[in-house]
Amino acid sequence: MQRLTKWLMLSMLFAPLLSIAAAKVDTLAPDFKLQDSFGKTVSLSDFKGKYVVLEWTNHLCPYVVKHYGSDNMQSLQRQYTQKDVVWLSIISSAEGKQGHVSAQKANELTQKRSAAPSHVLFDEDGQVGRLYKAKTTPHMYIINPQGKLSYAGAIDSIKSANPADIAKATNYVTAGLNNLLAGKPVTQKLTKPYGCSIKYKS
Amino acid sequence: MVRLLYLLLLIFSVGVFAQNTATGPHIEVALVSEHNQVRAGETQWVGILLNPDKDWHTYWLNPGDSGEAPTIQWHSDADIEFGDIHWPLPKPIQVAHLVNYGYEGATLLMVPINLKQATKERVAIRANLSWLVCKEDCIPGWATLTIALPVADTITLSEHQNLFEQTRLNLPEKHKDTAQFEVTSTHLGLQTTLPYQSDWYVFPFRGDVIAHNANQVWAHQPNSAQVVISLSDYFATPSEPLNFLISDGKSGFYVKAIPNNASNANAPPPSQPLWLMLLFAFFGGLILNIMPCVLPILSMKALSFTQSQKTNHWGYSIGVLVSFWLFASIILVLKEAGSAVGWGFHLQEPLLIAGLAFLFTLIAMMLWDLLPKGINLAGVGQSLTGESTFTQQFFTGVLAVIVASPCTAPFMATALGVAMISPMLDTLAIFTALAVGFALPMTLLSLSTRFANLLPKPGAWMQTFKHFLGFLMLATVVWLAWVFLSQTSSFGQLWLLSGLLGFTFLIWLSAKVNRVYCVMSLLLAITFAAFCSVKGTQTTKVVSEQKNNHFSAQKLTELRNNDHVVLVNMTADWCITCKVNEQVALNNADLQALFEDSKVDYLVGDWTNKNQAIYEYLGQYQRSGVPLYVVYAGNHSKQVLPQVLTPDIVINAIQQAKKEINHATSN
Repeated sequence: MQRLTKWLMLSMLFAPLLSIAAAKVDTLAPDFKLQDSFGKTVSLSDFKGKYVVLEWTNHLCPYVVKHYGSDNMQSLQRQYTQKDVVWLSIISSAEGKQGHVSAQKANELTQKRSAAPSHVLFDEDGQVGRLYKAKTTPHMYIINPQGKLSYAGAIDSIKSANPADIAKATNYVTAGLNNLLAGKPVTQKLTKPYGCSIKYKS
Repeated sequence: MVRLLYLLLLIFSVGVFAQNTATGPHIEVALVSEHNQVRAGETQWVGILLNPDKDWHTYWLNPGDSGEAPTIQWHSDADIEFGDIHWPLPKPIQVAHLVNYGYEGATLLMVPINLKQATKERVAIRANLSWLVCKEDCIPGWATLTIALPVADTITLSEHQNLFEQTRLNLPEKHKDTAQFEVTSTHLGLQTTLPYQSDWYVFPFRGDVIAHNANQVWAHQPNSAQVVISLSDYFATPSEPLNFLISDGKSGFYVKAIPNNASNANAPPPSQPLWLMLLFAFFGGLILNIMPCVLPILSMKALSFTQSQKTNHWGYSIGVLVSFWLFASIILVLKEAGSAVGWGFHLQEPLLIAGLAFLFTLIAMMLWDLLPKGINLAGVGQSLTGESTFTQQFFTGVLAVIVASPCTAPFMATALGVAMISPMLDTLAIFTALAVGFALPMTLLSLSTRFANLLPKPGAWMQTFKHFLGFLMLATVVWLAWVFLSQTSSFGQLWLLSGLLGFTFLIWLSAKVNRVYCVMSLLLAITFAAFCSVKGTQTTKVVSEQKNNHFSAQKLTELRNNDHVVLVNMTADWCITCKVNEQVALNNADLQALFEDSKVDYLVGDWTNKNQAIYEYLGQYQRSGVPLYVVYAGNHSKQVLPQVLTPDIVINAIQQAKKEINHATSN
């Protein structure tokens, strides 16, 4: 019992800290600064005034493979970056863990998969991922031009690794961005993400 | 690598066609039957055996933070009905910072089948299976598994029979007891009964209910057990029933939990439409006219209309309106400054209670014609009975509101309670409606001769009626003396009653003597009244009453005024979270030791039954339910604690409050 209590106490102490700083739908998205695959430092605040999509990724995760293997993710990237939406693919895999890549490898992947993110960002120590409470790959976020988090959650409505399900699913990122770009509110702001766990530094 | 993976998947999904087993990376899967044959009209069992490598796992129906439950689509060439998967007991599997629910080692997912009619000699059963097998990395797989079974009248157990028997021992049971859940801003509380003491663990069916990696703390009561778990970031439907599996690893049972509506701790304060509140306030004001404290004043006023036609029509109404607005403004200002006040806040001040008691006694004496003649007591007598100017009318209105205030507090509770927690303009609107209702009858009387004609004709009866009304005023004094007792002590009340006796005597005396002595006597009466009131309020309660920890607003105010640290606990028997907090945090020995300090107090408000005082208190904190924990450092500061407590949270808050008081009082 004492151990349990101690545990509870600890989790209680930290819970408020996390919730103050962490990302929450309909509140300001916390700012961050990360290196991209070309060695450039990129901050979220650089894109104030634009829609920003955050995509947590790990190229070896079967759920990410589902969306890249089928060209689903890349076509979303192409479609929305053309509409002046900033697309940031973030890799939070720690060194030695699945999905961790060098900058060179990241650029190769982008080219090979015909991906079109605005930047591929590295978050090796997992700070940004934890700040956004990113749990899985993929885990998607939409930030509006005022810097508020408009959507957080799954990429679509069918939780599976089967590419055949993509066509049947409702894509939450498409739905959210289309509503926002049309000046309408996002109908589903928060969903439970699905996919592989993010391989954070322990 | 990706392509390789796809290639592998392709091989597995195609290569295993028409077989009852398949192999994927780190897993073997098989479709097995408990019997070698099928018999029509009978429930039999087939199952999917998932056998991952050591350290790899598969998933339960809710996979937890990540992962995916296996899916099976059944097909047959015969008319076979397939039931749902009977999931064996899962276990929490920690993967890095996440927790998944699933199975390590071989697991059989059993499904009941029923062949409707024996129309064929042989039936084929096909399962389109998908799975995810994980260690830290995950690999999905798909396979189509097939078995063919002869249709027969006699059936024999297959080689897999042991597997089915073993699995049955590991299935949860249905649970008949009820379960309830409630949601706070951060936690889910679940209450149910447990068959015996063990290390129970809660598995929700849905993945968006609890934080899967959160600790689960149980509190045990004689007839029930409660657990409080951090809420999932994605939880959004607190009004639907939730299904859970509760397991200790060896056995388990399903519960369907219904929302604990009584608590509703997370809901915003009830939003009644404003127009309804305005209506309540209006009729409340109207009825206030016949309350014992107000009626005498207004009756006198009304009767004066029958005697004099020279009446200013609007003075009274404006006096009432301005007084109510003044009250509302004071409350709004105090609220803005952070004070927790409600309507009738001034009645929590014993000195004001005493003052009202003297005022009401004076009015009673006036009604009994016991006041000295020729002395115009602040124009009261004049304005109530004679011709009236605007100013006199205005102050009659003010007086009416002052004498009405003790009656308003208990009577107008609903509308005023709402006004206290409403935005500023709504508060003003509600007070205005109250004032209009209150002023309406008198205004109508003064404006319309038709209404005034409804009043009885003046005559000798008026004197008797006036004397009778005096008793109504004294009735209010009795009530005030009783309130005074609960605020001070029996000694305090003795001071007040003695004061009233001396006061009435001196007033009576002043009417009997000539001019100079009369004034002296009146001044003495006022001095005596003030002295006794102050003396009365200075008495403190006896010690035994002080440690009696039932919450009341007066007690809280008093303790705060005396620079005490106060922990207020608003609880109810039906509140799951409250019970867990009381067991886990508030029963802590270190905390109990802190309460031994004479400057630290613990007040418990029990909201099990409806209680207006607690409702209003909760409203001050924009809550409409319990639990609510507030720690006060006298009047210097207050801190609202989280809805789920640990001993340290409470102890730290109390020690912080003590420091603040020391700091404030040493300056």
